[in-house]
Amino acid sequence: MHAQPRPETSSAVLIRGGRVIDPASGADHAADVLIRNGRVEAIGPDLDAPGAEVLDATGCLVTPGLIDPHVHLREPGFTHKEDIASGTGAAVAGGFTTVCCMPNTRPTIDVPEVVCWITDRAAATGCCRVFCVSAGTLGRKGVELADIDGCVAAGSVGISDDGDAIADPDIMQRVLERCAEHDRVFMQHCQDPAMTAGSVMHEGRVSRRLGLTGWPREAEETIVARDIDLARQTGARYHIQHISSAGTVELIRQARSEGLAVSGEASPHHLLLTDEAIERLGSAAKMNPPLREWPDVLALREGVADGTVTVLATDHAPHATDEKRNPMASAPFGIIGLETALALYAEALVHNGLIGWDRLIALMTIEPARLCNLDQQGLGSLTVGGPGDVTVIDPEREWVISPDDLKGKSVNTPFLGRAVRGRAVATVVGGRVAFRLEREAAVV
Amino acid sequence: MWDGPHLLTTHDPDGDEVRALLERAREESFEPDALAGRAVATVFFEDSTRTRVSFSLAGQRLGARVVDWSSRGSSISKGETMTDTFWTIESMGFDIVVVRHGESGAARLLADHAHCAVINAGDGTHQHPTQALTDALALGEALGREQGWDFSGLRVAIVGDCVSSRVARSNAGLLGVLGAAVTLVGPEPMAPAALGEALGCAVSHDLDAEIGRADAVMTLRMQLERGAGTLLPEGYDYRAGFALTRERAERMKPGAVVMHPGPMNRGVEIDGAVADGPRSLIRKQVAAGVRVRMAVLEEAMRRSG
Repeated sequence: MHAQPRPETSSAVLIRGGRVIDPASGADHAADVLIRNGRVEAIGPDLDAPGAEVLDATGCLVTPGLIDPHVHLREPGFTHKEDIASGTGAAVAGGFTTVCCMPNTRPTIDVPEVVCWITDRAAATGCCRVFCVSAGTLGRKGVELADIDGCVAAGSVGISDDGDAIADPDIMQRVLERCAEHDRVFMQHCQDPAMTAGSVMHEGRVSRRLGLTGWPREAEETIVARDIDLARQTGARYHIQHISSAGTVELIRQARSEGLAVSGEASPHHLLLTDEAIERLGSAAKMNPPLREWPDVLALREGVADGTVTVLATDHAPHATDEKRNPMASAPFGIIGLETALALYAEALVHNGLIGWDRLIALMTIEPARLCNLDQQGLGSLTVGGPGDVTVIDPEREWVISPDDLKGKSVNTPFLGRAVRGRAVATVVGGRVAFRLEREAAVV
Repeated sequence: MWDGPHLLTTHDPDGDEVRALLERAREESFEPDALAGRAVATVFFEDSTRTRVSFSLAGQRLGARVVDWSSRGSSISKGETMTDTFWTIESMGFDIVVVRHGESGAARLLADHAHCAVINAGDGTHQHPTQALTDALALGEALGREQGWDFSGLRVAIVGDCVSSRVARSNAGLLGVLGAAVTLVGPEPMAPAALGEALGCAVSHDLDAEIGRADAVMTLRMQLERGAGTLLPEGYDYRAGFALTRERAERMKPGAVVMHPGPMNRGVEIDGAVADGPRSLIRKQVAAGVRVRMAVLEEAMRRSG
């Protein structure tokens, strides 16, 4: 029912000399971690395991495998942009051991057969665990309900029409009722279609100067406000994808203070860039929802720091170079994120002292695990007996984001050339070392 | 304004590049073989009369071979993209490509990957820099401001659908940097306060209040093909509020001039009698366009080194 990486039972992995952080249990101490038969066998000082593959974690953080609840793997349908093999290759290179893929594939993930197909495909070709988020409506068209019951039974871990909002409130209410019934989170891509016809970037000074059609904050906030009411009525868990506006952060804050099961996620680009980037980078900085202004960036960071925003998600959206090499109005939305996320989150949140590494790890492990019920399988935490999914992070590793370095098929990111700090140096998935940074590359 | 050999916008923070180019266009001391042995292509994905013809003529007067391409009748109908079309033409060995496209940012995108000089001849609702240079040349010469190109003290009203206009955006920046006080005038949806703020100029929704104090009134074409009609309520009487009628023209200051970037919708945004009347600079604008484009091509070639 759920994706499992190919088991590697014959060997053991010993991660030695690191600082073990497990936000779920509050553990934060120096220890070795021994993984055998796909599961964590021991955590403690001076472990020894003859014959085990040893990873030297001196100076590094040893954390539960990172989880990204929002990626686009493009398979089936758009494998010139990315596929499950390349996308999960990028994931493990970024420290992720689990990703949740969005349903805007072709065919759409709106029937159990597609959930099963992706799950099987990921088991055969993937480097990490892959779970499906299936559509709320057929073909993500917002008109008829998808087979939510069947998809959940097949293993769907969340419901979303990502790429589009469910605009019709009646349909939305019925989808939320199904989600509540199955205890699955609904993840809304908050974009009022009527307010964003032809929109390509944030509506503001820059869009007016450039003569580009603007996308107001209100197009996000009106959907959020409406949905919070529907979540209250239905009792469903409701999650706001890729928050872009300060107003959305405030709406989530109010809903949470009321005790509603409302959450939201922040993406690296919304934590670091503003609409000014469009002026420099054009379509490379075109994303959905758009980059906004500095007060929005600061409000989003503040929301993360005060616990309003509990999940980090990349919205990894690969596009071929020639697709992105179009003027703003005709280029596709989106940027890649899996391999750059950890360093960019660290830049936006940790290096400036806003939060500590322990909180950052929580936002990337146990929080998204709970969002998608993956904690019920032991994912998102690092405990003896739990899954052998572990990420080793060098928080001080300095590197420059370069296209030659990226493992995915696409290199569409406005962060190329950026000097960053912090990197996954080893990623263990189900007891198998799925990624290990080359030694040479480790020397800066 | 210049970005290497490319001319993409009128953005020129201290105005030096703008003044140098206007001065060169005014002197008109071009060498007839300045571009001898060079090849210039005009690549137009949108229709044009004056911009296209004046670039071609300018290139020929400087001794270049000029090839005109337009999307009508081309491989665009076979699904070739803008970028591939541009590369196809560029690969034939042109030194300068003059490009017009319906999307904002198109010229910048092509320039970023080009091996030749790219001149923006209009990109969507963003910029049309040679039109603004042309307007500044005609205006400066008409009002005796060509010594030093100092427009301070001049009031210029740009009237019409500013929000959809690349001419308004280009002129607001260029005339502003020369010292003119620019006011965008139009019904609120066509001249919103936020646009004035973004472009650094004033906004007015009352043409009758502006008409008596402007030194130049630049009327914009109602761009029905860019959806100008949808910005205003059904039955809105544009003419009553914002057309440059004969009655309004009579209330202009002595010596004040009327401009229009063309093509005109006579009887819509401007009365024929005003367009053809004594205040009109419209034909001088067209003539100035050839000199400006000669100066632009010469400078682009010089910068291509």
